[in-house]
Amino acid sequence: MIRLSGTNHLLGHRLWIKDFPKPTAQIQIPYLIIGGGISGLSAARQFHKKGISDFLLLEMADHLGGNSSNGQNKYSKYPLGAHYLPLPNFEDKELLHFLEEEKIILGYNEKGLPVFDELQLTFAPDERLFYKNNWQDGVVPKEGNSVEDDKEFIRFFKEMDAFRTAKGVDLKYLFDLPIRLSSADKSTRDLDKITMKKWFENNNFRSKPLFNYIDYCCKDDFGLGIEFVSAWAGIHYFAGRKQDSVTDKNESVLTWPEGNARLASHLKKYTEKKTLKNHLVYEVKVENNKVVAKAFDDVKKVSIEIIAEKVIMATPQFVNQYLIKNRKEFTKAFHYTPWLLATLTVNDLPDNFSFPLSWDNVIYDAKGLGYVYAQHQTLNQVQEKKVITYYYSFSSGDLKKTRKEIYKKDKEYWKQVVFDDLKIAHPDIEEYTEEMEVFILGHGMISPVPDFIFGKAKENAAKNIENRIFFAHTDLSGISIFEEAFHQGINAVNQILNDAALDS
Amino acid sequence: MGKKFLRFEFLLLFAVFIIATCGLIYELVAGTLASYLLGDSVKQFSFIIGVYLFSMGIGSFFSKFFHKNLLNTFVEIEILVGLIGGLSSVVLFLLFESVASFQFILYLFVFVTGFLVGLEIPLLMNILKDRVEFKDLVSNVFTFDYIGALLASILFPLVLVPKLGIMGTSLFFGMINVSIAIVLCFLLKNELKKPYFLRVKALFSFLVLLTVFVFSDSILAYSEGKLYGENIIYTNTTPYQRIVLTHNKSDYRLYLNNNLQFSSADEYRYHEALVHPAMSIAKNIKNVLVLGGGDGLAVREILKYKEVQKVILVDLDEGMTKLFKTNTVLKGFNKNALNNPKVTVINTDAYIWAKSCKEKFDVVIIDFPDPSNYSLGKLYSLNFYQTIKTILQPDAAVVIQTTSPYFAPKSFWCINKTVMQVFPQVDAYHAYVPSFGEWGYTIAINGFGTTFNDVKRQVQGLKFYNYQFDRFNYFTNDMISNQIEINRLDNQILVRYFDEEWGKLQ
Repeated sequence: MIRLSGTNHLLGHRLWIKDFPKPTAQIQIPYLIIGGGISGLSAARQFHKKGISDFLLLEMADHLGGNSSNGQNKYSKYPLGAHYLPLPNFEDKELLHFLEEEKIILGYNEKGLPVFDELQLTFAPDERLFYKNNWQDGVVPKEGNSVEDDKEFIRFFKEMDAFRTAKGVDLKYLFDLPIRLSSADKSTRDLDKITMKKWFENNNFRSKPLFNYIDYCCKDDFGLGIEFVSAWAGIHYFAGRKQDSVTDKNESVLTWPEGNARLASHLKKYTEKKTLKNHLVYEVKVENNKVVAKAFDDVKKVSIEIIAEKVIMATPQFVNQYLIKNRKEFTKAFHYTPWLLATLTVNDLPDNFSFPLSWDNVIYDAKGLGYVYAQHQTLNQVQEKKVITYYYSFSSGDLKKTRKEIYKKDKEYWKQVVFDDLKIAHPDIEEYTEEMEVFILGHGMISPVPDFIFGKAKENAAKNIENRIFFAHTDLSGISIFEEAFHQGINAVNQILNDAALDS
Repeated sequence: MGKKFLRFEFLLLFAVFIIATCGLIYELVAGTLASYLLGDSVKQFSFIIGVYLFSMGIGSFFSKFFHKNLLNTFVEIEILVGLIGGLSSVVLFLLFESVASFQFILYLFVFVTGFLVGLEIPLLMNILKDRVEFKDLVSNVFTFDYIGALLASILFPLVLVPKLGIMGTSLFFGMINVSIAIVLCFLLKNELKKPYFLRVKALFSFLVLLTVFVFSDSILAYSEGKLYGENIIYTNTTPYQRIVLTHNKSDYRLYLNNNLQFSSADEYRYHEALVHPAMSIAKNIKNVLVLGGGDGLAVREILKYKEVQKVILVDLDEGMTKLFKTNTVLKGFNKNALNNPKVTVINTDAYIWAKSCKEKFDVVIIDFPDPSNYSLGKLYSLNFYQTIKTILQPDAAVVIQTTSPYFAPKSFWCINKTVMQVFPQVDAYHAYVPSFGEWGYTIAINGFGTTFNDVKRQVQGLKFYNYQFDRFNYFTNDMISNQIEINRLDNQILVRYFDEEWGKLQ
């Protein structure tokens, strides 16, 4: 059996024609959050922390979480988007606090470093790579490399280690998380003007396995491969995370069967009784020193009007351009990579037994990014059926065109794409598959193409409007990761409250 | 020349065809057998093909030293290949358990077969070189050679192994091989010297192969028994494991997935050492929990204490506990412990069960299989022991079977160190169990209200444990390991230690 679904693009596309009924009801509220992804949810938490409870959150979908959503079948929960959080940087106190609140950090050890809950760190074995017809430990190609390849890997990681610790004259890290804390160092920022591939070539790297590995990493975090992604972003993947909050296993990540939907569910408690789901906001404007937002209730099929003092647009800019006037100009510079996720329920997952099934299973030189085994993070000895989620990002130079093509294809087509890719490592997977759910995210994540992260368009898009409408979304950071969304939400609230001290 | 010669050439080419087919069959048999018995099929097949081709080369090289009676030599080699190749699988099957250098014998067989096959083709070309034009000779010989190889490689997996089995296949082709020699003996009697002598040799070899072929089923049964070294009296495959019970004189042995679980001759040593130290020092022993141990042998020891009011046994495999509740022989071993009214058997995942358990226990006996994979490794993690702590009474005692401190000191001390992170008092001890070797345990007390030497109660009539704990917790240097990490779910270092230590013994 195969099912095809995705983000609600049909409802979203009604923003093009705006054929909504006239509002028939009005709500007055001091603070309004539009969008229930991590940015919006984090803003709700921050309001709560600041003692503010009179806010309302509107969400287009029937659930909160955005890219941190999940599905569930008889056997397991599984991610429908983001599925892990790398260990936070030690300097990122806001994030450490949040993890403490949610008992993901259980305390601090004698060295002052956080102690993470064993059950929420990836269980071993965490990663494996199918390379040269064998599964091997870790995702870095090792067994079967030439001597030259190995040398380049060593040199590459050395350079990344240097970038990780390097600081500019402003005493800021060259690459930090959230990105806005990074140094203004000019020569480093110039890396944003070229692609990662160009950087690779400029630095005399030739190794194909290294190229493929970097390509995999870029797609993993940004959706875009090495050919299209900015070199600054590409290096940030390796250098932004300081790996300084634990002493061993510092590349470990936090994960859950349902992926980051777990983090979203922690944040959801701050929005209880303050949320309207299935509400598509179609217009936001400042009028008489108030913000007027119009939203369409997709269940009752009526529209409402919300009058607020301040609004946080926790929505992506490709949506905002239809809600707020005069934004199309700089929205053009925002590109979003589509993603496909396929969750397979399999009776068994035989392979050549060269390395045991891990949490993250990557196939070298495959089209997709491999798959995540949802039940890896459970305590059971045996699983009746296994549930795996395959990831595919549509890296291309013309994402708009790619997106149009995606929506023309049917489920049979995608089924074959997924099987063909997985068959490299599991030749008989089709026989063992009981069910496949294909989930397409048309605008999966912001794409840090060259000149975007430090470009004018992004800077303009982030500016508030008349101190009434504020913006919080990862597309304003330039990379779509939990940490950025989390801080986007906090910062928007702090700005509204004129909090002199910005967070972190 | 003429008709008679055509027959001569045809016969010999047909022989080439048969030799090539049989040769490849022997090679495939060796490869299959090796991957079946030793595992890692890619490695085994590739080594065997390599050795086979190499020894063919050696054979070809040595063919130049044969000058006289080439045709006789050819027929004799034919008989020899049939006999050796045909019997190879039988011998390998029988020797698997008893010979330490099994691999050596395996490769010796491959080498000898390869060598002989390698001899034959150059030999044949020498025989025919004066009778046929060289160009035709080379092309004909190799054509038949390669066709034979193709036939063999197609027939082997599709027809031969399913129909005849591995042993049957090699014997069958041995017979074909020898039959060719017999045919040659009769048809070329004028060309051969002392054809009578050759004929006797060929017929005798054929009879040997035929006899073994007829009895191959019982040989196979015998060798499967040999794998265990005893007579198999019961087998059962549950969804979780394969249970095999064997019997040899007065000793019964239970194997789970081919790993020895207990031998009835000395299991009392293992189970007395597992149960009585903890039972004797715990503050109370009213409520006892056993995790794993579906054979009920630990429960048998626990029930010797009259103070015990309730025993809960949690074992994943219902097939296992059911067997030990119903089978007469097995019930005899555990003294019908699992049917005792004090005992409740719960068939579920112990980790999950412990996480949701609301009860508190006085003693917990943990008898899981060794941490040989990442699933089992979870049951030895820091979080697992933290979970166990939440279901303990103050001053409760916990004991854990922790593999062999002699064979796997790193694994042994890794578990011990992990337990130390959780409980205020932890110690280790070991006992000698002849069928296992030196075996070890980690014991812990959930508080400071008792000590490991504070014997609060004893039962009479134990054969092994004498309640003198300090006689068991001394470790010689060869059972000690330092610089050990703690086993956590996110590193599963124990599984790596275990693989490193037990892997090297196999």
